[in-house]
This record gives sequence, C-alpha cells and structure tokens, in this order.
Amino acid sequence: MSDRRVPLTTDGGAGTVHTPAMSDAALEDRALLDRAQDGDMEAFEALVERHEDRLYGLALRMTRSEADAAEVVQDTFLAAYQNLKNFRGEAAFGSWVHRIAANNALMRLRHQRVVDAVTEELRAPEFTERGSLAEVPEVDWSRSADEKVLDEELGRAIRQGTDALPEGYREVFLLKDVEGLSYEEISEMMGISVPAVKSRLHRARLALREEIDAFYKEV
Amino acid sequence: MFTCKDSIHSLLEYVDGELSEAQAAELREHLRACPPCVDFLQSYKATPKLARRALVDEMPRELAGKLKAFLRTKLPSK
Ligand SMILES: [Zn+2]
Repeated sequence: MSDRRVPLTTDGGAGTVHTPAMSDAALEDRALLDRAQDGDMEAFEALVERHEDRLYGLALRMTRSEADAAEVVQDTFLAAYQNLKNFRGEAAFGSWVHRIAANNALMRLRHQRVVDAVTEELRAPEFTERGSLAEVPEVDWSRSADEKVLDEELGRAIRQGTDALPEGYREVFLLKDVEGLSYEEISEMMGISVPAVKSRLHRARLALREEIDAFYKEV
Repeated sequence: MFTCKDSIHSLLEYVDGELSEAQAAELREHLRACPPCVDFLQSYKATPKLARRALVDEMPRELAGKLKAFLRTKLPSK
C-alpha cells in the first residue's frame, strides 16, 4: 500500500454527507452490484433494501407527497436496473441512485412549479436601520446538532420548516445540505446558475434557522 | 461600515472558505466585536446538520413490500 493521504471528511457544518473515501457500506454495495450485474436478482433486491429508505426520504421531502415519493423510488430502481450494465462504478451505487431519484423528483416538480415572487414568504433575520441584528439570540441551540438523540418535536418542526420552503429553494437545500451534491451538479440539474444556487441555499438556510430558533424560543 | 447585515450576507461564502482574504478579515473583525453574530454563525452552521438528522424518513413497510413486488414483475427471475 502506498502512503497516499486519504482525504479527510470535511464536515464543517454545512459540509457534505458523503465521505470521499469508500466506506464499508459502499464496498458492500460494490460487491452486491457486481453480483447484480452478473444477473443475481437477489443481490439487486438487497441493494434496493439498503437504499430504499434514504431514497424515499429524499423523494418525500422533494415532492411533499407520499404517492409521488413512492413512484419516484419505484421509477428510480427500475431505471437503475435497466442501466445496471452501463454503470461503471466510478461513483458509489448510493450516489448514483440518489442522482437518478433527484432528477426524477425535479422533473415532477417542474410541472407544478410557480417560480419566484415567493421569496417574500421566506423567513429571514431582521435588522435595525443601522444594519445590526434586531434580535439577540436568546438560546444557543447550535450544540443540539451534536447531541445523541434528536428531540422528536424539533425533528417535526424541521420537517415542517423544510416542507414550507418555497419551490426552488427547498430542492436546492435538500440537494446541497442533505444530499451533499456540488453547486455545479445542482446548477446543471435545475437549470439555474451557480450564483443562483448559492443565493437560494443561503436564503433557505436562513429561513430554516429562523424556524429552529422559533422552536427553541417557544420551548 | 461593516454591519451585522453584511456579516450575515457573507456567511455562506465564509463557511465555504470562498471569501477573499480582505473580505474574510473584515468579517472576522466584525465577529470579534459582535457576539450576536458569532452565535448566529454557530446556528447557521448547525442548521444543515440538524436538518440532515431530522429528514431521515423510513419508507413505510407497506410501500417497501409493494416496491419489491413491483420490481419482481419487471426483473427476470433467475
Ligand atoms: Zn454583528
């Protein structure tokens, strides 16, 4: 083995979820994938079982509809199966199916999208005339992100807050901050510029931060 | 003058390490004198982490069963 350095996972809060080096899970996926590519359907079903929950979670948060989410997951695995032979495996199976699912969900949303003019609905911090923060945060809840168990009520508030993000903002937030896609990938998938992706992401984070802050103020 | 508004406006690029040296210095100088902005930055960074944890959904077992049955009709049995 060479002593080439393994890239460290950068998770400075807004970082990505995917580790650059192949995890054990990804290696197991690779083994299953090899078998599935040789026609072993049990191996393919095992891959489905390993990824269906996370795919469903993504699809549900993107489409906000259980029926649509179920269809997205179904179509995604079918597409994955049909393209199994073409999958070269530079990427992990997980990221591959997540990208298929994200594209699929985006296509569904495109039909029902009413873009822009919605930014007024986004919550944002308030400032005084002189540009100072109008409200000094009362509770420092930033550490709760590292606690072992996520508060049930907080989880619900975050899901509602995410669902309430306007179309276009919600997808960017999910794809970047939950799925760990790059700005360039999202820009390409959604057909908007990288600066637009960043600006929507920032607005979405600010809005969600306000939701969480409001949750802690009520507790 | 560099205000809280400016500071919060630049947080995404700050977190990404994309601010120019001059911009980052300006922000750091503001943060040193402004505890509310420091707290804000912490919570801004914590937001995606909390969201990742909150947004894990399990596929309802009934749906998972349907998915399996559907795929079996599409895949050749071997
Ligand atoms: Zn400030």
